[in-house]
Amino acid sequence: MTEISNVQRPFLEVSDLAVQFPTEDGIVHAVDGVSFSIERGQTLAIVGESGSGKSVTAQAVMGLINKRNADVSGQAIFDGEDLVAMSDEGLRKLRGSKMAMIFQDPMSSLHPFYRIGDQLTEAVNAHHKVSKADARERAIEMLHKVGIPLPAKRFDDYPHQFSGGMRQRVMIAMALINSPSLLIADEPTTALDVTVQAQIIELISQLQQEFDTAVILITHDLGIVAEVADEVAVMYGARIVERGSVDDIFYHPQMPYTLGLLASVPRLNEVRSDRLDPIPGNPPSPIRLPAGCVFNPRCAHQDQVADDLCRTVRPALQNVGPAHQVRCHLPATERQAAADLTLSLLGRPGR
Amino acid sequence: MGKANKGLRLAAVGAVAALALAACGGGGSSSSSGGGEPTTGGTLYYLTNAEQFDQIDPQRIYTGEDLAFFNGTIYRTLTAYKFSPDAAEGTSIVADLATDTGTATNGGKTWAFTIRDGATFQDGSPVTCADVAYGTSRTFATDVITGGPTYAISMLDIPTLEDGSSAYKGPYTGEGQELFDKAVTCSADGKTITFNLSRPVPDFNYTVTLTAFAPVPKASDTGEKYGDAPVSSGPYKIESNKNGKGGKMVMVRNDKWDPASDDYRKAYPDSWEVDYGLDVKVIDQRLITSSGNDANALANGVEPEQLGVIYKSATEANPEFAGRAISELDPYVRYLAINVQKVPNLKIRQAIAVALDRDALRKNAGGDFAGDYADGVIKPNMGVDYAPSGMWDSLLGGKIPDAGDPALAKKLIAESGEAAPTITFDYPQSPTADKAAAIVVDSLGKAGITAKPNPIEPGQYYGVVFDPEQAHELINAGWGPDWPNASTIIPELFTPTGGFNLSQYDNAEFNAAVEAAKIEPDRAKQAKMWQDLNTLAMKDVVVVPTRFGREQRIVGKQIGPVYLWPAYGSWPYGEMYAVQQ
Amino acid sequence: MSAYVVRRVISMIILLLLLTLVVFILFSLLPADPARLTCGKGCTPAVLEANRHKLGFDLPVLQQYWEFMKGLFIGRIYAADSPDPVVCNAPCLGYSFKRGEEVLVLIKDRLPATVWLALGAFILWLAAGISVGVYAALRRGRWQDKTVMGISLAGYSLPSFFLGLMAIFFIVIRLQLLPYPSYVSPFEDPIQFFQTMLLPWIVLAILYAAFYMRLTRNQMLEVLGEDYIRTARAKGLPERIVIRKHALRAGLTPIVTAAGLDLAGLLGGAIITESIFSLPGLGSLAVNSVNDADLPVIVGITLVTATFIIVANLIVDLLYAVIDPRVRLVS
Repeated sequence: MTEISNVQRPFLEVSDLAVQFPTEDGIVHAVDGVSFSIERGQTLAIVGESGSGKSVTAQAVMGLINKRNADVSGQAIFDGEDLVAMSDEGLRKLRGSKMAMIFQDPMSSLHPFYRIGDQLTEAVNAHHKVSKADARERAIEMLHKVGIPLPAKRFDDYPHQFSGGMRQRVMIAMALINSPSLLIADEPTTALDVTVQAQIIELISQLQQEFDTAVILITHDLGIVAEVADEVAVMYGARIVERGSVDDIFYHPQMPYTLGLLASVPRLNEVRSDRLDPIPGNPPSPIRLPAGCVFNPRCAHQDQVADDLCRTVRPALQNVGPAHQVRCHLPATERQAAADLTLSLLGRPGR
Repeated sequence: MGKANKGLRLAAVGAVAALALAACGGGGSSSSSGGGEPTTGGTLYYLTNAEQFDQIDPQRIYTGEDLAFFNGTIYRTLTAYKFSPDAAEGTSIVADLATDTGTATNGGKTWAFTIRDGATFQDGSPVTCADVAYGTSRTFATDVITGGPTYAISMLDIPTLEDGSSAYKGPYTGEGQELFDKAVTCSADGKTITFNLSRPVPDFNYTVTLTAFAPVPKASDTGEKYGDAPVSSGPYKIESNKNGKGGKMVMVRNDKWDPASDDYRKAYPDSWEVDYGLDVKVIDQRLITSSGNDANALANGVEPEQLGVIYKSATEANPEFAGRAISELDPYVRYLAINVQKVPNLKIRQAIAVALDRDALRKNAGGDFAGDYADGVIKPNMGVDYAPSGMWDSLLGGKIPDAGDPALAKKLIAESGEAAPTITFDYPQSPTADKAAAIVVDSLGKAGITAKPNPIEPGQYYGVVFDPEQAHELINAGWGPDWPNASTIIPELFTPTGGFNLSQYDNAEFNAAVEAAKIEPDRAKQAKMWQDLNTLAMKDVVVVPTRFGREQRIVGKQIGPVYLWPAYGSWPYGEMYAVQQ
Repeated sequence: MSAYVVRRVISMIILLLLLTLVVFILFSLLPADPARLTCGKGCTPAVLEANRHKLGFDLPVLQQYWEFMKGLFIGRIYAADSPDPVVCNAPCLGYSFKRGEEVLVLIKDRLPATVWLALGAFILWLAAGISVGVYAALRRGRWQDKTVMGISLAGYSLPSFFLGLMAIFFIVIRLQLLPYPSYVSPFEDPIQFFQTMLLPWIVLAILYAAFYMRLTRNQMLEVLGEDYIRTARAKGLPERIVIRKHALRAGLTPIVTAAGLDLAGLLGGAIITESIFSLPGLGSLAVNSVNDADLPVIVGITLVTATFIIVANLIVDLLYAVIDPRVRLVS
């Protein structure tokens, strides 16, 4: 045993991950230099608008990006192995066993032609040599665990015989059937009713504790983030623009985009509708990412930065707290002022 | 069986004297060529698109090619046509089953033939007068023996009933048997057969070349099914026969056949194989390539797209096909029949003939390869019966250009005292026929005649146009003689008792002249009479003759002799051989 | 499910009955007289009339139809009042006086070649079409895909007579790699059978495979973009299982439809291929019968072919239910 082995590396450490898709219109920069890390038992939320690169980041980690159609670079060290450099077969063996994924739309994520029981046992058999009976038993156990009533009976049903929420439970059961240590949930509740959403989130949390799983939760729902996440990474224009603990992001946000996100969250107790404050403008095209700060075309604060820096120089991820980083040219005081203003409008205490 | 897509269903045997014009393209005018000297042995292959022979039953065969094939292989007849490419020689008869070509007495009303010694059936039993008489009697069973020629019924001296049918109903019912037995008698020794005819038939010894007069052993007759297992009297016998695509007929030597009893057939090959149901394009390609067994193969036609490959011109083959490709006048005359019941006015009929663009019609049919302009229904290869009718030179009042003369046609209509007619043109539909119909419509239109094309499904064509209720004014047709005497043309086409009178022509004077010609014993005189009747019919524009058809054929490299036998417009099957390597 | 099948079979039978009626009426409207076929050059009106009576063509159309139906279920006797009646036992599809044979026998004679031709080509073209289609889809947009699609377009647009003739000219006549096609039953001479059938199978398969390549490729491309394929991959299933089990089955429905109808159509006879390769199949029988106006044979073939197509439709619909469980719920 050497000294280096004593250096504790994070369970999953992604550094400088980039994904590019060459197309006829130009290169799509779907993920551009993303870094984050996560430990077992922890939940990392990646938030951002559609097209910000959250899902592609998750799929790159899972090895679900077809390397024939895309360039993936950077590193993703998972339990000591680099997922980016790994062979397709190596990734396949990890997928569904050590790492698993749940998708946004449970209606279309299950194969309509196969019994859910078969789809579950297939996941078991892909990684373990077990008897049919054992696989079945395991599947029924998982169905029971995710709260499907009469699991032994429903084992032989087809997906179309389940409701949306029940299907997502089945998807969760399928993802967790081989007790993965990493679970990526890509917008797991977006397609579901509000009441069901809470149940699903609750289920994921509960199973996370049981299996001591690291969870990457991809969402644009800040409410859920606040509820379950330990860490938050805010993505915009293929990059992480702010990263920190839940407290950091909700109570000490620094990046104008994060502020915009917070401000656009609809609140049930909101009286004045003009307080709902979506960010003006559209997300950037991934083919032509803006020079400098990717957020600059929509940023209300860029005139507060000297020398046109926002439009010319790409801001580095700078530490603003112990585990809190932000990618912004605004001077610290200006950032703080903007954050205080937003938080006060939201009716929350500032720093 | 011939080529399947010939377009003609009726019109049968071709008695064809090869034209004086250099006979065939590739030196087919010599009686042997292509494969070298005749040798005995081997197998000859007959490649055909047809899936079966129309008929194998001797009394039912009525297609020239089939008559030639079966007469040359398994059915002996009292007389037969001489094997020769020469127009006169190839249509003359020689003795076959009989000792000579027959003796006529009683002014041509009684014919006697003596059967040779040594002629046997395939079981070894001798062929007797009774067998020939029995075979002949089968023709009378018209409900069983269908499709064959009915000359026995029309010529033998047996009374007819009120409905026009013979009082003798054939050997199966036996009704009127005594009448037949009186008309056809056998000598006490069973050697001599005598036919008593109802009228003088000077060329009856030609009539008996038809296999309808071939012997059939009564004990082996299975009626309608006789063709499935016929009894051979020739040098071969049918070993097996499977109809349909991929099927074949195999003929092997009949070891009971005694060459001494038959100086007519050469019987060179050891066997014959007929391959049924082959694609016409595949047949052409096999014969052109001529490799393996195909060197010993023959077929009955060439597809138009291969003509350029094989021939330099309509009368000459390319060097590499010299000696194995022929291009000859076929037995048929193509014409448009004018229904004289519907177009009674002669001037109008003349206008139709004058207006017609025969040049475009011939080009559409294939130009030189398709044949020559016709001036009547008797072809030059009919020998003595042909003489130019002058149809396009003088009969219509002057020289008519091949492309038609719309101005003259208009003048004729004006003279007719009638308005320009509206007529309908019946024709069996095919892509080529559609174009021909367009030419007819167009050229008549130029003369002010409105013609409507009426395409008819080919298989139903003759069924429609022979129905007076359904036939229209102008009817597409073709006809070939049954043997080299215009007695099988003029009466058939232009008299009410004829079998092919599409024009519905019924002219008392003409009919009388036909009857006289039929019984004229002097062949030269008779020929002159047919020539005159042909001219008369053209003058009356009963039909508009458009083309004397021509056909092309090739064989493999190792087969001979290569010539079109004038008797049937067929290969001379009875003297063909495979060249042994 | 079984009630559904029974319902379908009953409606199928009704459809077939209606179809025979329509065919009967259509052919009775034709100007040709089928009785003339039985009567050669020396035909007299009396013989014609007798034959017409023997054939039953002197009856009104509906009564002819009734006789036909009776023959189908209980058999019939032609020319019962003549000295030589023709007995045709049930199921009697009619009697061809032109060919002197029962229609059922004629069809039975021709059916094996047609069925073997259709089945062999069917298996070949499905195997080739689907595998190449999948291959192209997996290499979408790359040179392999473009090459395959180019070739399939060529195969698609080649006329069958051209392809067939080329095959027979080069492989049989010029190179003599195979003997001349001469159909025999596979149980009689399997080697000659395969030698005869190989080229027609390949020729037909090429013509059809082209379409199935395109169909499969497009289906696969569509299915491969589906969420459940991503799920299958996320489970860590090997790619071949993802493709074969998950993607292919989902893309199969339109292929099954097309395949069922194409096969049924071919069972009615592949006229051109049969002609070029001298195969004694239904196609040539049909063509010859139409040319000869041989009504009983035409009606028989129409009935048999229609049965194939209707049965194929039923099988395709039942296969849907096997493939897609959602269909079962609806039916």
